[in-house]
This record gives sequence, structure tokens and C-alpha cells, in this order.
Amino acid sequence: MITAGIDMGTQSVKAVILKDSEVISRGKSFSGFEPTKAAEQVVGEALKKVNLSLSNVNHITTTGSGMDMAPYFNSTISMMGADAKAGVYLFPKARTVIDVGAEEARAVKCDDNGIMIDFVVNERCAAGAGAFIEAMARALEVKLEEMGPLSLKAERASPINATCVIFGESDVVTLIHRQESKPEIARAIFDAMAERVSSMVYRLGVNPDVVLVGGVAKDVGFVASLKRKLGVDVLTPEFPEYAGALGAALIAVNRVKKM
Amino acid sequence: MKSQSEEKKYMPVISQKEIDELRNVIKATSQRIIAENIERMKKTDTNRPKAMQYFDEIANFGTREKEIRAAKESGKKVIGYMCLFAPIELILAADAIPVRVNSGWYDTSKLGDRVVPVEVCPMVRSTIGAKMIGLSPYLELSDALISALTCDGMTKLGEILSDYKPVWAMVLPRVKDSARSLRLWNEEIKAVKRQIEALTGNKIRQKQLKYAIELTQKATKAFRRLQELRNGSPVIMGRDAMLVNQTYMWDDIQRWTEKTEALCDELEKRARQKIWACPPDTPRVMVTGTPMIWPDNWKLPTLIEEANPQGVLVADELCSSERLLYDPVGVDEWTMNDMLKAIGERYLMASTCSCFTSEDGNEDRINWLLNKVKEWDIQGVIYYVVRGCMLYAIEYTRVKKVLDRLNIPVYYLDTEYTREDVGQMKTRVEAFLEMLTARIDI
Repeated sequence: MITAGIDMGTQSVKAVILKDSEVISRGKSFSGFEPTKAAEQVVGEALKKVNLSLSNVNHITTTGSGMDMAPYFNSTISMMGADAKAGVYLFPKARTVIDVGAEEARAVKCDDNGIMIDFVVNERCAAGAGAFIEAMARALEVKLEEMGPLSLKAERASPINATCVIFGESDVVTLIHRQESKPEIARAIFDAMAERVSSMVYRLGVNPDVVLVGGVAKDVGFVASLKRKLGVDVLTPEFPEYAGALGAALIAVNRVKKM
Repeated sequence: MKSQSEEKKYMPVISQKEIDELRNVIKATSQRIIAENIERMKKTDTNRPKAMQYFDEIANFGTREKEIRAAKESGKKVIGYMCLFAPIELILAADAIPVRVNSGWYDTSKLGDRVVPVEVCPMVRSTIGAKMIGLSPYLELSDALISALTCDGMTKLGEILSDYKPVWAMVLPRVKDSARSLRLWNEEIKAVKRQIEALTGNKIRQKQLKYAIELTQKATKAFRRLQELRNGSPVIMGRDAMLVNQTYMWDDIQRWTEKTEALCDELEKRARQKIWACPPDTPRVMVTGTPMIWPDNWKLPTLIEEANPQGVLVADELCSSERLLYDPVGVDEWTMNDMLKAIGERYLMASTCSCFTSEDGNEDRINWLLNKVKEWDIQGVIYYVVRGCMLYAIEYTRVKKVLDRLNIPVYYLDTEYTREDVGQMKTRVEAFLEMLTARIDI
């Protein structure tokens, strides 16, 4: 059985192809101005890599903020539902799945079947999400991927009050004027983000195992800060940004079986 | 009435030209929103009860505005109120017309931003904005306003509106279950009675007051009947029931009661024939929190009932809907004294507003919610809060705790007086409904 999951994210489109619940291919591209076209291309290429075409796919499930814009789908699943499914598939003991994407952070509480039982979403502000790191990297004039490793070199923490990207940026400027080092400022940025994400998770309850997915899970600086704030280990999969698409593809498997 | 030239405490000076332009634009939007809301309600339940037609007409403010205007010309007074603590029976007994004046217009909240900071409750800002441009027919027609001092926003809203109208503040004790509080509140009831009598020139007598109490008792009976019909398989969509509830805030009470009874007759017949407004296994949702005022602030009920998967609102704990008339005035002896006492008790003790507290917390609200959840077979609760609504935001933590014990999912949804966040809200509401459905079957 071939199933596909498409994650129509705010910044990028992801696709995962499964054969009997095993990942055989994945693909990703920027959503851009025409997310439907982008998704069409991503799915097409992911299938081509494994010598398949759309006609071989039994069921496509789509998720993400732009799920209605997916080029083709048989069913939909909420982002939170997809996170829960993928989190428990990747780490069977996962009971809390945190997803930090480009513009949203959310946390899902789930049972051993990967069914969500509660969720929280950040309060419409990018300070707890990936877009914040991007803006701050610009302010520090470092590459996005350098931010994490840089922050790990910090010797101490200097708190910033990041309730919003714009205010966060002015706080960073204050630190620059105080001539704080770049590693310390980078650490301050991740700490502030982790503070916001963790307070959201605390409202839900920290039930181990805690899994972090979404593009930001690739950032070692954020993962380190989040571990400190939550006081528990935070597990990350190899391809965290594909969690939504993976969850959707797994839901597609369930839906085929039910038919 | 205060003259326009008099220096205002809060309100800025705006040119008549700007007022007219803004009012025309916002009024046109409001008319469009009203029509759209009703169309969407018709689309959700294609076989909507025939009796809803009356409430659709009353939902268009113009019809009732004309009636009230005519009554005013024949000498009647209109008394507006913000919170549900204004004793309607006293207003009716003095042959005056009660109307609630809280604003549900999104666009006027942006005008309110010129007067108070954006952190302030959007319902307060919107009501200020509506007054700035004379948008609300009921606020404009009011000869005086009763302002119960409930939350901070409402307390100051009364003060701000006193730039235009006489505002009678009623001090509301925050602890209900004490003889001291009730004594104070009964004094407030008597004071507002004197003010109503002075404004109308009508002394409130035993006979008129008894008649007024009986009138609202009948309305309560019809109201309760409608809510009872929402228990069991869905015979009416939540939005339709909420609209019926809400029109009580400005409609003629006797006519409203008759029309609601007629609707209930129709619904009972449909229930017998098993004609449902949506599939009987649709997740049963309840909303609680900040009031949702027609016409603009209808977005959450709309999202829930148009979502995929769909939900149906079978109950709410909102002062704009189910809290309006849930409890009747209970009179033992029809003496003036007893009636006034019964009114005092009904308005204070029966309220589950989040402004109250006690040694045990705001247990009346908690118990009301728990009973409703159990008896109405609620599968999920959406806790709705607008930014700046502190009391409801704070009580969420308590409500979540008690609902968790019952294993009832509750989702905290915060929003603003704006149409722009509907996309994000949809994502959340649909995830929540999906979760409720998944509990049944995935």
C-alpha cells in the first residue's frame, strides 16, 4: 500500500511517501506565492525518486495551515493530529509532542496510539517560532545555521524579554550596545524562545517522553535551551521538519485500512 | 442630556462630516454581515425551523429601532444597560423600554482605540466607538444607562458613556453569599428604582411590578423550554438558538415570549418526527467565557458549526445567551417589599458572572458548568476569551482543572474584535473537533 502525506506549511511544503507504513521518499520546497504548484512539484518529485506516480498512491492526506490549497488529497488531518501520530510513530513512548515551525509553536498531548488528547498553540506571535530565529540571525549578522552552535559557546545567560519579534529585536540591539558577545546574545535568544514554548507546554503538562519536531528541532541551540527550561530530555528525530507530512501519511494508512 | 459643547471627560472631538462618513461605511458593513450571518445559518441547516424567520427580522436592528422610536415619540422612556444586573422588571413596571447596549461591531472597536489603549477589552472599545459615530440604535435611543460595576472595563465604560447620557452606577458586591452583600445590593435596587421613577415620572406600584415580574417569568419559561430542547439529539443548530436568546436583549418581551413558544412547538414536533438539524452523532460542544454579541462577534459559533468535522453548540454559559434568562424571579408574597427583595436576589444570586468570588472561589459558575456538561452530554468545551477580558481569562485555569477531572476536553481560544484571525481560529477549532471525533473513532 502506497500512501502520501502533504504538509502545506507557512514557509515550506513537505511531502512524505510511505510503502506499508515505511518511509520510502520525501521532498520539500518553499511554499512561495503559489503553494499549490510547489506542492504538485514536491509530490511529483518524491514519487519519481522511487519510480512511482500519482496513480500508484492509495490515499493522500494533507495537513498544515494551507491544507485546503493542496493540489490533490483524499482527506485532511489537523496539524496537531498529524504531530501526535508522527511523534508516537517515531518514538513509541512519546506522550508530549512539541512542534516549532516557522510561524507557529504548538504542543500536543497524545496517547499510545498517537491520538491527540489535548493541545495548545502559541498566541499568534512569532517570538516562539522559527521566524524569530531568522530575524535575530539577521540582527546579529550571522547565518541562520550558525546560531545554534554559536549559542552553545556562551558562558552565561543574559535574559531578554521576547514577547514579540519586533520588541525582541530592540532587546537584542540593547545587548549589542552593552557589547555582549555574540554567543551570549544567541543563547539569550534561544532561552527567550524556549521560555515561551515551555510555558505553553507547562499549561498542557510535561508528560515524558517529550519529542520536538518541526524545522526548529534541527537547531541545537534551541534544543539545549528547551531541555534546560523543561528539565527533561527532549528527543528529536532525524528529519523533524517532515513530521507533519509523515503524520498525515500515517493517517492515510489508517484511512485506507478502514475503507 | 448634556450639550455637545460641554467639555467631555473622555470623548475626543470629531467633525460631523467624519462621523457621518464612518457611520455610513460601518453601517453598510453591519447590514452586510447581518445578511451574511443569516444566510450562512440557513445554509448550515437547510431545513431551518420556520419560526426562525421572525428572529431573523428582529436580528436586523432596524425593525425594532422603528418601534422603539415610535414608542419614544408617544412619551415612553428607554433605559439602556450594559451588564445583566439591571433590574428589567423595574424598567418595565415604570412603562419604560429596556435595551442592552453592548456592542458586537468589530469596526467600531478600532474607533475606540482613539479613546482608550488597545489592551482594553474590545467589547468596551467597540461600544465606545459605536457611541462616537452614533451607530447603535439602542444606545442612541436610551434616555439613561444602568451600569452595574462588574469588571473593570464595564465600570469605566459607564464613566466614559456619561459624557453623553445620565449613567446610573449600581455597586455590585463581589461576594454573593453573605447577608451584608445582599443588604447592599437591595439598597442599590431601591436606589435605581427611584432613578427610574424620576426619569419616567411614573411611580412603580405593586400592580405594575407584579405584572412586569409575571411577564419576565413567562419569558424565562419559554427560554428554559428552548434550552431544554437543545438537550438530546440536535433539533436546532446552536447559532439559531443563540440568536433567539440574544434578541431578548432588545425585542419586545411579550412578543419575544410568544414567538419563542411558537418556535418550541415547532421544535417539539420535529423531535417527535426525528427531524434533526444535523446528524445526531455530531460532537456536542459548549462555549463559555466572554459574551458574543450580534452581529459581528458571531465568528466562533459560525466556525464550530461550519467546521469540518462539524460541531453543534448545544449549550453555552455566556451572558449574551444562556445566562440572560436562566433563572426566574421567585416571589413568595406579592407585596412591594417582597417583590423588590426577590428581584434583588434573582439578579445577584443567580448570576454566574466571573466577577464573583468567595471563600471557595466562584463555585456557582463552576457548578453550573459541571451540571450542564453532565446533563447536556457535552463532549467538549471551548473557553472563549477576548483580549483584555481578565476575569474570564483567569478563571480558565480553574474551569480546566474541574473539566479535566471529568475527562472533558476544553480548549482556550483567545481572539480580538477582528475578522482577520478567522483562518487561525479555524485551524484550532477544527483540530479540537477532530480530537472530539477521534475519541469516538479514528
